[in-house]
Amino acid sequence: MKKLALFAIIVLIFGTVSPSLVNHAYGQNDPSILLRIAVQADKQIINQFNKIYENEIPNNINILYDKGHRAVKSLDQSLSNNDIEKAKQDFLLAMNSFMQISRIISQSSEKSVEVNVSVKSNQTLESKIDRLEKFVQTLESISTKHKIDQNKDKFTKAYSLIKEIRNQINSNQNPSENTNELNNLINSIKKEIRNSIAEKQSNAIKNFFEKFLVQIDQKLMEAKNLGRDQIKIDKSNELILEIRELLSKNQINDAKKVYSELQVVLKDIGISVKIT
Amino acid sequence: MISLIEPIQLQDSLGDDGILFVRNNSIFDTMVKIPLLVASMIIVAALLPIQSSFSSPRDLDLIIYPDGSTHVSTKIDVDPFLTNYELNLFGSSIDNLVVVGNDEFLLESDIVENTIIIQTFGSSMIKIDYDIHDLVSKQGRFWTFSLDSPSDFTLLLPKNSAIIGMTNLPINMEIVNDQNQLTFSSGQTEIDYFFSTNTISNPIPDTENKIDYFLFAIISGIVVITAISIGIIIHKKQKNVKTVEPIQIIQKNQVANIETIFKLKPDLREDDKELVKFIFNNNGEALESELRKKFLQPRTTMWRAVKRLEREGIITIEKKDLQNLVKLRKNMEENE
Repeated sequence: MKKLALFAIIVLIFGTVSPSLVNHAYGQNDPSILLRIAVQADKQIINQFNKIYENEIPNNINILYDKGHRAVKSLDQSLSNNDIEKAKQDFLLAMNSFMQISRIISQSSEKSVEVNVSVKSNQTLESKIDRLEKFVQTLESISTKHKIDQNKDKFTKAYSLIKEIRNQINSNQNPSENTNELNNLINSIKKEIRNSIAEKQSNAIKNFFEKFLVQIDQKLMEAKNLGRDQIKIDKSNELILEIRELLSKNQINDAKKVYSELQVVLKDIGISVKIT
Repeated sequence: MISLIEPIQLQDSLGDDGILFVRNNSIFDTMVKIPLLVASMIIVAALLPIQSSFSSPRDLDLIIYPDGSTHVSTKIDVDPFLTNYELNLFGSSIDNLVVVGNDEFLLESDIVENTIIIQTFGSSMIKIDYDIHDLVSKQGRFWTFSLDSPSDFTLLLPKNSAIIGMTNLPINMEIVNDQNQLTFSSGQTEIDYFFSTNTISNPIPDTENKIDYFLFAIISGIVVITAISIGIIIHKKQKNVKTVEPIQIIQKNQVANIETIFKLKPDLREDDKELVKFIFNNNGEALESELRKKFLQPRTTMWRAVKRLEREGIITIEKKDLQNLVKLRKNMEENE
């Protein structure tokens, strides 16, 4: 028995400690990631210098770049020495220096940067379609979970429209008609989901209210015994009755509204609406 | 290793003056009850994940699109006994909001400026998805992502984006569909990036899988070594126990006597003492039915008496052929 208990203790200690070990390891991560990010940023900055300044780099930017570049070298050295804390400091110093450079460049070159309107609007449209596609995928996941067959064709149509809109963007055609159609389709899908799960959802809310109101009943009894404001206790009981009646008639939204009113009265009495 | 506590009745140091000398080999065993320790650790182990997960974002994932808009996806554990849950969003320009609770139920919500009030009604977990336009700004050709996150989060950068500045240390990095995905700890994070078709802006090669395997190997190694060590220790203990067992039995049989039991339990009822004496004279064990016959007691009365003695730590009750076999304990004071 003792051996079993000791064994259980060892297992429990290991079980308790091991998740923190894993988190610790995850937090420490692979420090070489830092070097790779810093080296890439360094190269990007040089690349920008070549594009913008050719050989005439302003002094303030040059100083910042030297600072950043030295920090990258130091980071490499720190990692070789396995000095992780120093490596972190070097990384932040390098990335901060490069960040300052990029902000100075963006301020000074703002006027000179040529903005290709077509590219910019395409980028925006593509992003909009990306977002809509993600939204459709989320709705599809909900629809599949609740086995809403009525939406199946709508999803097929939605994905087909998304594909078509992408083609139109790539060939510089106006996709607004298809985009509008897609938006309408998404609204129709949302409506279908709401209608299909309304009954299940109502039942879930009813069950929740049933449990919740029983608890509130008990708390009101306690409040009465403690001699709290009787008028407010009576008012609460009336509201509870009203909620129960509305729930029995399936008027969930009205029940929610009365519940909001009840919450205020309960707060006045000093009853927490959270079940403990 | 022999038993850590030697029963008092086995001690031969009871002096003439009546002073009881107790040799204690392990203060740990005396002060800490092992079952109590195990129970405490089970409770602690069970509470740890609850403590860390309740009512806090479980996951927070962000995707930055090329136009700077950001998709936010978060899962939050909430109190199932609350009707509403209030959450601060990362901005006010919200699109494509979907809030679902348990079983993918759509939950109703109201947005007031940066705050969303969700009617949870019994959900223990909520998942919120939305698009936001407030997290990324652009100056010239450079884009800046800025977020003060309440929890660790992952950030998927757009394709062909190159990082050129960062204010926070990433805790992980991997490649997802040719895009850099970074993981950051909570707090303020700013990242500067720009788009480039230049080859050097290709995603930073991923070595995270190798690291995962390495970590996995280390953890597996620790588990295997621990298991082997435990096995060896138990095996050694069993060997030791086997060698000392006959000596212990002889000692116990030699000194176990009724007087010591009564000395240790001076408040024992007279009828209970009779029961103990009978069991002692019956080679230390007796069936409950035998006790009933001997003392002419009804079943319930005898059952209560036996349970009383068990509570006192004087006897143990075992099942034998569907009957209760009552045995005198050999090491009573372990339970003292």
